[in-house]
Amino acid sequence: MLFVLVVTAVLTTFYFAYPNSSNANTGEKTFLSHNGAVIKTTGEVLDPVYSAQTLEFDPDKYLREFNYGRVSKLADGTTLREFTIIAEDDKMMEISPGVFYNVWTFNGTVPGPTIRATEGDLVRIHFINNGARSHTMHFHGEHPGEMDGVFEIVGAGGGQFTYEWIAGPVGVHPYHCHVMPLEEHIIHGLYGVYIVDPKDGRPQADEMVMVLNGFDTDFDTENNFYAANTIPFYYQHHPIQISTNQLIRVYVVNMVEFDPINNLHLHGNLYQYYPTGTDIVPSTFTDMITLSQTERGIMEFSYSYPGKYLFHAHKVEFSEKGWTGLFLATDKE
Amino acid sequence: MEEQKRSKAKLVASGLIPFIFLIVMLAYIVGPGSTMIDLGVPLPELTVEKIDFVESEILVTVRNTGPIPVDVTLADVNDRIQPAAIEPDKHLERFETALVKIPFSWNEGEPYTIGLTTSDGTRFEKGVDAAAPALKPNSETVGFLLLIGTYVGVIPILIGLMWLPFIRKISQQKYIFFLALTVGLLLFLGIDAIEEALEVSSENLAGAFNGPLLIATTVLVSLFGLYYAGERLTKKSSLTKIANPYSVALMISIGIGLHNLGEGLAIGAAIGLGQVALSTFLIIGFALHNTTEGIAIAAPIAKEKTFIRKIIGLGLIAGVPAIFGTWIGSFGYSPFTSVIFLSIGAGAIFQVVIVLSKWLREYDKSFSSTPVVAGIAIGMLIMYLTGILV
Repeated sequence: MLFVLVVTAVLTTFYFAYPNSSNANTGEKTFLSHNGAVIKTTGEVLDPVYSAQTLEFDPDKYLREFNYGRVSKLADGTTLREFTIIAEDDKMMEISPGVFYNVWTFNGTVPGPTIRATEGDLVRIHFINNGARSHTMHFHGEHPGEMDGVFEIVGAGGGQFTYEWIAGPVGVHPYHCHVMPLEEHIIHGLYGVYIVDPKDGRPQADEMVMVLNGFDTDFDTENNFYAANTIPFYYQHHPIQISTNQLIRVYVVNMVEFDPINNLHLHGNLYQYYPTGTDIVPSTFTDMITLSQTERGIMEFSYSYPGKYLFHAHKVEFSEKGWTGLFLATDKE
Repeated sequence: MEEQKRSKAKLVASGLIPFIFLIVMLAYIVGPGSTMIDLGVPLPELTVEKIDFVESEILVTVRNTGPIPVDVTLADVNDRIQPAAIEPDKHLERFETALVKIPFSWNEGEPYTIGLTTSDGTRFEKGVDAAAPALKPNSETVGFLLLIGTYVGVIPILIGLMWLPFIRKISQQKYIFFLALTVGLLLFLGIDAIEEALEVSSENLAGAFNGPLLIATTVLVSLFGLYYAGERLTKKSSLTKIANPYSVALMISIGIGLHNLGEGLAIGAAIGLGQVALSTFLIIGFALHNTTEGIAIAAPIAKEKTFIRKIIGLGLIAGVPAIFGTWIGSFGYSPFTSVIFLSIGAGAIFQVVIVLSKWLREYDKSFSSTPVVAGIAIGMLIMYLTGILV
């Protein structure tokens, strides 16, 4: 009896102390990681490499997708643009390989759809709240007080509200939920981009939207992940394809919370920068801008030489947590 | 006969019936279809048990110490995401461990924090004060640790045993004093081992193991187990009066041996973790400290016929485990094994304290004579003062 007890105790001790020793090795594999490190292992790789197949949110699609709404003309000739936006707050999204986070969404994605209108258009947004919490839509820009999405709380479970205003001023603006506690509603993903084009338009360009965002997955008021367009390291593995000698226009909006600043550095080039996009004359020619919360602007540049060019936060912590990507510039045939 | 059988069956049944009710109750509470205990959200928990710095790579041993299985999804160094590999795989059942290999050009002497993120985005971290290359088990390091173990464990105890002729020649009163001194020394060592075990468990052992109760259980089980074995041993050999003191000395040696295994683990782990300054102090301190352990072994056999081989044997039983300790501590450190060894050692030491106290009562019924009280007090003081050096 005593002997059996002792043997059991000893075996248990060894199980807890060295439980892995019984696992047989099944051949070593070699992997190349996202930063070029070579990993040899018999196990699995932990590397935020994303393949497009498993992705619920497609940063490539989001990058160049602009929503102009359902367009109609009013009697006085004004263009009416109608949008339907549905808020939800129960979705678990894989925001980095294997990491799941409860995102709160406008039309199912973080960021929400990019809403685009021309200065002077009538914008009408049918907002439906299908979430379990109250939500609103608060647009930066000019509009009447009762269209501000602050005091007109839209109730959970199907509450509705129609926002309406004349688009302006020209520029790139964020929109986001404005229900208290505000930080919680923003960091879960209730934000997006709203672009107002000048009446005469801007020069033809390859246009794209970049929302700089982060996720605090362990709720310690510090971001665990950063990205341009939600998925960490995405554009590092899926370079943004551009052509040399083509004007590139990036609408960039900083939605990172907790960290007072974010920034954007472009390699091998400098860009004309239009803060908030409200002017048609650039204010600086630089390769580095610093952005505070909801600070935004328009970048314009073109590459003369083909090649791979990095863009990333020069707050390197952010880039090492996912906010980094590549432009792949090729000559047009 | 029939009558007897029936009453036996009744006895068995009456013993089993409460168990059946217990099983029914558990099935009702947690069985399939029961929604009674569906409270709260179980939170994942990972504990980093060990971090080794090897050539351009950091090796992290991690254990799932939470109530639910977890998936490890990301590794980071100093809160910066790093590509890594995990063996055997990223899914960890309760109490399962995995080895995370992070390719990283680390710098010697710099502090590092290793973080691991689970699938729900929770990050768990563990810091290292100064990175140092992990010891590789080759003939050079094995020999080096053998030497250290010998300096710390074997030689000081043999030196301590050289007081034997001195103790032999002194009067009965003074001899009692030395026995009491041994009790004091051992009491201190036992408390010291428990404290050490508590420290290891609070620093490196996951809460799921319930460190303090694990230590209490191990100490008491080893104490009563050894006491039981010891009584059997001494009873059987009581025909030859001589064997009695030697068997007590043997129990002391075994207890001290386990204690020294713990000391060896501490030194080995400190060397393994690159805490060189700390390990130098540990070595000097333990060496001084351990000469007193020689006295503890010598005291009970001082009035007996001297068998030089037996005495050296006793010294080796007490000292050699220190060598094994340094090896295990450097090459295969596991906080769980350290806690267990230290606790068994403490239990063994307390068992010897009980046996010696019984002896002392034969000389001093009230346990209050000057040599007994002074011996215990001075024994503890000596240990405390030499212990400060550690």
